[in-house]
Order: sequence, then structure tokens, then C-alpha cells
Amino acid sequence: MNLSSKTSEAAGEKQDQPMKHHCDNHAECMKMIQAILDGEASDADREHFRQNMDKCMPCIQTYHLEKCIKDSLHNKVERRPCPEKLVSAIKSQLLI
Amino acid sequence: MSVIMSEAPIKEGYTDGQKYEVFNREFMPHIDSMYNFAFRLTTDEDDANDLVQDTYLKAFRFISSFEQGTNAKAWLFRILKNSFINDYRKKSKEPSKVDYQEVETTYNSEDAADTSHTVDLRADAVQDMIGDEVANALNSLPVDFRTVIILCDIEGFTYEEMAKILDIPIGTVRSRLHRARNLLKEKLRNYAGHMGYDV
Repeated sequence: MNLSSKTSEAAGEKQDQPMKHHCDNHAECMKMIQAILDGEASDADREHFRQNMDKCMPCIQTYHLEKCIKDSLHNKVERRPCPEKLVSAIKSQLLI
Repeated sequence: MSVIMSEAPIKEGYTDGQKYEVFNREFMPHIDSMYNFAFRLTTDEDDANDLVQDTYLKAFRFISSFEQGTNAKAWLFRILKNSFINDYRKKSKEPSKVDYQEVETTYNSEDAADTSHTVDLRADAVQDMIGDEVANALNSLPVDFRTVIILCDIEGFTYEEMAKILDIPIGTVRSRLHRARNLLKEKLRNYAGHMGYDV
């Protein structure tokens, strides 16, 4: 994904660009992708990514992988309820 | 020596009734999240129980310094994290007690952190994994990397909240997350390889 895309580039020209299979700035792209998935990216970064992502295969793959990992962590990893004994112990110690 | 009948309030101070009300309404709802965080930090059920109990007792003791309506969950997590570092980290039962400085050095180089080689892992290999497999990969990370992933991806804290909980700059939150995720991908990739996935 070309992070320094010229603003004068017409949208129509982008449509004709072939899919890139190598990303020149992939380290920076990864950081941006993670920030976007974390909800911490600026509007400008999100907009830039939205416009450019579908032309860069490594970025598409990275986005899907990062999203998949994040979703797995959030949805699949077991969350145990706090043992009732512990809740009781805390409450009784504080005379609640 | 005169006997002090009641502690002088730090700010306006809560009455005893208000303390219990704030505690029940704002602190207790987070106990499941706190327990899970404690368990992932200590990797031991007994230690997790003790850590959660210590944290809630401290939270009550210092409740006057908590402002109602502010972010109770982040406030509690910060107490728990500090208790963990002060009281439990020394007797960590983790088999590989990784010195964070050492890990920081290893992963400090731009190459290692930024992966000019991307980890060879496919999204569908991850999709096929069950919770235990992902959890094992997470648990195998050094505790400081494990922590930022838990806070961000499992508990949903913002970078700013994480910076306050961990007492580090936001820039460090970002870079530590980036490194933690690279390491997690490697663990997942190894796991997928062992399970016979063509990654």
C-alpha cells in the first residue's frame, strides 16, 4: 500500500491499478491496520486505508489475519466466572 | 496517643453507606473480568483468588480516591496490576521467567518488531483453532506481552486506558502491542504447523 499516494491522483486511475503483491511499507501498514482494528486510527488514516487496501494483497491478507486473531481472542478464549466462594469471601470481609 | 475515631476524608469523602454503595454498584460488576485477568497473570487459581481478594480490599480501603462515575474498571485493573507486580510476580510459577529487559532488547530491533518477513500464518488456520489453542498461545507469551493483548483484545480497553493502567506512555502501548502480536502470530503459526495445517 502506497502511503504517500498523491492527492491529485484521480479515483478513476486507482481503479485501473493492478493488484500489488508486494507492499513497500508493510511494517507501517501493519501498525496502521492494528490501529484501525483497535479503533484507534485517525479518520484520515482510516479513509486512506479504505481507499487503498483493496489494491494491495499483502495488506488485505494482513487485515484478515489480524482481524481473525483479534476476534478469536475476544470470542473464543474461555472466560470463567469469578468463583462464588471468592465473591462471598470479599463481601464477608468487608461486612457487605 | 489519641485514638482517631474516623479517618479524615481525602476529598469530600464518602459516608460508610456511600462507600458500600459505590463498591457494590461500581466495583463488584467487574469481578469476573478481574478474576480472568488475575488468572492469566498468575496462571495459578489460588494466586488468582488471593490477588483478586487483595485488590478488592485495597480498592475499598482507598475508595475515597475513586471519583464516582469515572472509569472504575480501569481504576481496579491498575490496582490489580500493581499488586501483581509487587506481591505476586516474585513468586511466579511460570516455567520460563523471562526478564522483560532481555525480551525488550531482543525485540527492539526494527527488523524483529516490524517483520520484514511476515509470519507465515493463514487466517483460516486461525479460524479453525478452538479457544484452548488460542489461549495456550496467549499464555505462552512473556507476561508483559500477554498483558497488553489481554487488556486490548479481551477486555477492550483503549490505548489511553491501557497507558493509565500500566503507567506507560501511549507510544509504548502501541509498540508493545505490535511486538506482542508478532510474537503471538509466531506461537499460533508453530501450533498450526504441529497440528498439520498447511500454513
